[in-house]
Amino acid sequence: MSRIGVFVCHCGLNIAKTVRVSELAELAATLPDVVVAKDYKFMCSTPGQEMIVNDIKQHKLDRIIVTACSPLMHEQTFRKVLAASGLNQYLLTIVNIREQVSWVTHDIEEGTTKAKALLNGAVYRARLLAPLTSRVIDVNPNVMVVGGGIAGIQAALELANTGKKVYLVEKNSTIGGHMAQFDKTFPTLDCSACILTPKMDAVLQHKNITMMTSCEVSEVKGFVGNFDITVRQKARYVDHSKCNACLACTEKCPGKGISEWDEGLVKRKAIYIPFPQAVPQKPIIDKESCTFFKKGKCRLCEKACEQKAIDFEQQDTFVQVKVGAVILATGFDLMDTKPLVQYGYGKYPGVYNALEVERLFNSAGPTGGKVTLRDGSEPKSIALLHCIGSRDKNNHEHCSRVCCMYSLKFAHLFKEKTSADVYQFYIDMRAAGKGYEEFYNRIIEEDVKFIRGKGARVTQSADEPGRLVVEAEDTITGKFIKLPVDMVVLSPAIVPRADSKDVARLFNLSTDKQGFFMERHPKLAPLSTMSEGIFIAGVCQSPKDIPDTVAQAYGAAAEALTIVVKDKMELEATTAMVNPASCCGCQNCVRVCPYGAPGFNETKRVSEINEALCKGCGLCASVCPTSAIIARHFTNDQVLAEMEGLMEF
Amino acid sequence: MTISFKQIEEKLKTEAKRLLESGQVSVVLAYGKGYDEKHPMPYVARNPSDVANIVFNEYCNYNMARYLVRYPAGTKIAVAVKAADSRAVIQLIQEEKVKREDLVLLGIPVYGMKNPKTQEIIDGKTTGGLYNPVLYDILLGDEVHGQAIQLPYDVLAAYESMDKEVRFAFWKKEFDKCIRCYACRKACPMCYCDPCFIDQNKPKWGDKSPKFHGNLMYHLTRFHHLAGRCIDCGECSRACPVDIPLYLFHKKVARECEEMFGQAAGMSIEDKPALVNFRVDDSDKILE
Ligand SMILES: Cc1cc2nc3c(=O)[nH]c(=O)nc-3n(C[C@H](O)[C@H](O)[C@H](O)COP(=O)(O)OP(=O)(O)OC[C@H]3O[C@@H](n4cnc5c(N)ncnc54)[C@H](O)[C@@H]3O)c2cc1C
Ligand code: SF4
Ligand code: SF4
Ligand code: SF4
Ligand code: SF4
Ligand code: SF4
Repeated sequence: MSRIGVFVCHCGLNIAKTVRVSELAELAATLPDVVVAKDYKFMCSTPGQEMIVNDIKQHKLDRIIVTACSPLMHEQTFRKVLAASGLNQYLLTIVNIREQVSWVTHDIEEGTTKAKALLNGAVYRARLLAPLTSRVIDVNPNVMVVGGGIAGIQAALELANTGKKVYLVEKNSTIGGHMAQFDKTFPTLDCSACILTPKMDAVLQHKNITMMTSCEVSEVKGFVGNFDITVRQKARYVDHSKCNACLACTEKCPGKGISEWDEGLVKRKAIYIPFPQAVPQKPIIDKESCTFFKKGKCRLCEKACEQKAIDFEQQDTFVQVKVGAVILATGFDLMDTKPLVQYGYGKYPGVYNALEVERLFNSAGPTGGKVTLRDGSEPKSIALLHCIGSRDKNNHEHCSRVCCMYSLKFAHLFKEKTSADVYQFYIDMRAAGKGYEEFYNRIIEEDVKFIRGKGARVTQSADEPGRLVVEAEDTITGKFIKLPVDMVVLSPAIVPRADSKDVARLFNLSTDKQGFFMERHPKLAPLSTMSEGIFIAGVCQSPKDIPDTVAQAYGAAAEALTIVVKDKMELEATTAMVNPASCCGCQNCVRVCPYGAPGFNETKRVSEINEALCKGCGLCASVCPTSAIIARHFTNDQVLAEMEGLMEF
Repeated sequence: MTISFKQIEEKLKTEAKRLLESGQVSVVLAYGKGYDEKHPMPYVARNPSDVANIVFNEYCNYNMARYLVRYPAGTKIAVAVKAADSRAVIQLIQEEKVKREDLVLLGIPVYGMKNPKTQEIIDGKTTGGLYNPVLYDILLGDEVHGQAIQLPYDVLAAYESMDKEVRFAFWKKEFDKCIRCYACRKACPMCYCDPCFIDQNKPKWGDKSPKFHGNLMYHLTRFHHLAGRCIDCGECSRACPVDIPLYLFHKKVARECEEMFGQAAGMSIEDKPALVNFRVDDSDKILE
């Protein structure tokens, strides 16, 4: 015989509007083992909590059911109430009659009936609940940051400054990310390199940061507090422990590859550093463009290298890293605009995408910072086309958020560096940010022409060979216009990294509709994810500018710190275990477990679950044909009892 | 081309003898004499002298892969496999119940196998309609060429045309007949669980007496346990003393799995069991 207390919350009108809460409490009072049943306006408030505490004492309750909001919101609150009253916290059951009932119906009959069914089920289950003991584990104090753009750099520096050891994993041969490609940054127009390279250097110098460039995560094991991550160190063919960054090798190299850093606008050597301020300053060999790898002859770099650092035999290696928390800051890609044939990108040499233009402005870029077209001439008129592939139901519904602003930046730089006429084709100008509207006004003053209308098509001029014509509807005058220009700049949609789904899978994250990493809560937990101990920062979460990216990086660092600052942490006791007598050795559990907790014992021919790895998701129990798996807190008996209760309504 | 059953029988004997004599295997799973021609029996040869008892004819339907899981891990076994039987072996390899290196597969290319009760040709009807083993080490005869008489899902046409009520009434009638002898489970190469869910008492998943509701619980759960795993040998249906056409349900589920996950059970040892494997490109249809 248990003694159950049922506490029904109104949540103001959130619940009370579509569930007759008093009726719920009346029903509860008639259910088996229920000793007291009450309803109250805000159960999570201090008086609400005190009511529970008092009733536990007064009625000697040993099971508490709170019918209220999602356990994600207040399970911890009420567990603490139980603990404070000397009850085991696992004797609490939350029935979610808000997200699962009152918010999904307008019909009070329907709402009340469903709430009653859920409550009835909960009472049946609560009678069978058993006290459980949480596990306490050691926490690894280190953190991994994946992605060395401005987000990753900032997060790594913050954490390292608190004394924590940080592994910064970057797949490129240099850190810096997109920001390192820019010349100036809106809205202040500070020089990107001037504000970024000191941070890149700080990463390199920091004694607490292990920078892992040309690296990618290949496997993630473990769980919050104890991740065991395998990192693949891609072969660089240059031994960085010997290289002294003299770069004599790059001078001798006859190989020619396409410079990824310069967005393919120029060639680079086969042994190279992507740009002069790259960190580390040490080169890598690109196998694809290396003469030796292609033809079996050359090795000029090897001869040039006094340090004997060139190593054509180098292979990928795997490094094992143990950390307590992870921050993902993998950034974004630009949408490939070639398939949008109406804009002629890739077909007409005068059509550029935004990142290419960033490189044209950059003094370390392919033109040394001069704005010239592919034929070397200076453009006399330039059209900037906003929202290419963004805010477009046929491509990406989302707004890429920074294109309005960088187009204004471009307009300014074009005005500064050329005498061209500059036109902006926009749907709406979005300049919401500190100093952004002011920046917008400043650019209007600079004689930039604004045409409110999305560029619809880019064609080749029939009369003037080589010139382009932008077609659009000016939605202010209602006129259809055709504007001849020399240069067209597309602002392609900011999209998730091509490999973001794989990365999400590695770290057990979900992705949103667009494919960006999904946060735990859009407003209240934007940097945490559904995978505990994994945080996100920067554009991998959603398109944003540098100020927001940096703010998120600080936030994610603080979040990660809340985990690694502790030596020990408590884990849920709700793990699964195998009853060996019933196990048929099918290994379904081994295959479905997302955390690698079950393993097959070859000698005993049965599966066993490593409790330290088990997160209690219950997947294994659901695929076990012989019900050999006992999911603590959700045992077959408990779940069946709950179903029985549910089905009585 | 006609199949010479006698020739296959001779080859089976020769290979079995050779394998046992050389000590390459300690067990040969094949067919032996029953009380008459039409009722051969599963036969286990352990000594070269046992080989004389091996037979093969058009009634040797048993899926000998059924017996593989009975032997301790590491036992070297030769097993006679027809097309569907070889798929069962592949599926068991996928499920890591047996190891490829422990097995010698004696492949039997054959068509025209018959149901002893009805004399009807079973190819494609209750079986997957393949004639050549999908995986084998030694082929006991020539590969069969030519179009299958009946494709594996052809028999579903009539079944699928029934509407929901008719279909329920159909299974109600069929499952009412079930006497819960569990011959279907015993015959099935994929039903290797010990204990089977239906034999459990805590929790008791279904009534054990042969009445409709318990029968339904047993069968629906078993169908579910075989989703993506049933390799369409039809043995369950032939084993059934009251002739319940279990194969219809199995085939229906198999087709859905195949459409959803792009793989049929037991066709490649590279595959992973469809229902307990996750691929990023998995169809979300199952959630709809
Ligand atoms: C054309 C253009 C101009 C812009 N101009 C401005 C501006 O003037 N001012 C402003 O405030 N904002 C501007 N932005 C926005 C700015 O680029 C972003 O806010 C910022 O770069 C986001 O930084 P991040 O670190 O999140 O991503 P990124 O800069 O994309 O960095 C991500 C890093 O992660 C690495 N990475 C990716 N995947 C993996 C993986 N699987 N494993 C390891 N490493 C990985 C990448 O190599 C990269 O180094 C502009 C954007 C564009 C497209
Ligand atoms: S799923 Fe169940 S029966 Fe299969 S191996 Fe795991 S515990 Fe054993
Ligand atoms: S409940 Fe089962 S599937 Fe889930 S984490 Fe634990 S062992 Fe893995
Ligand atoms: S369910 Fe029937 S047809 Fe399928 S593998 Fe088992 S015995 Fe063969
Ligand atoms: S019915 Fe299910 S539990 Fe029983 S033997 Fe077959 S697969 Fe195993
Ligand atoms: S073989 Fe037939 S009668 Fe026996 S349990 Fe199976 S379906 Fe029922």
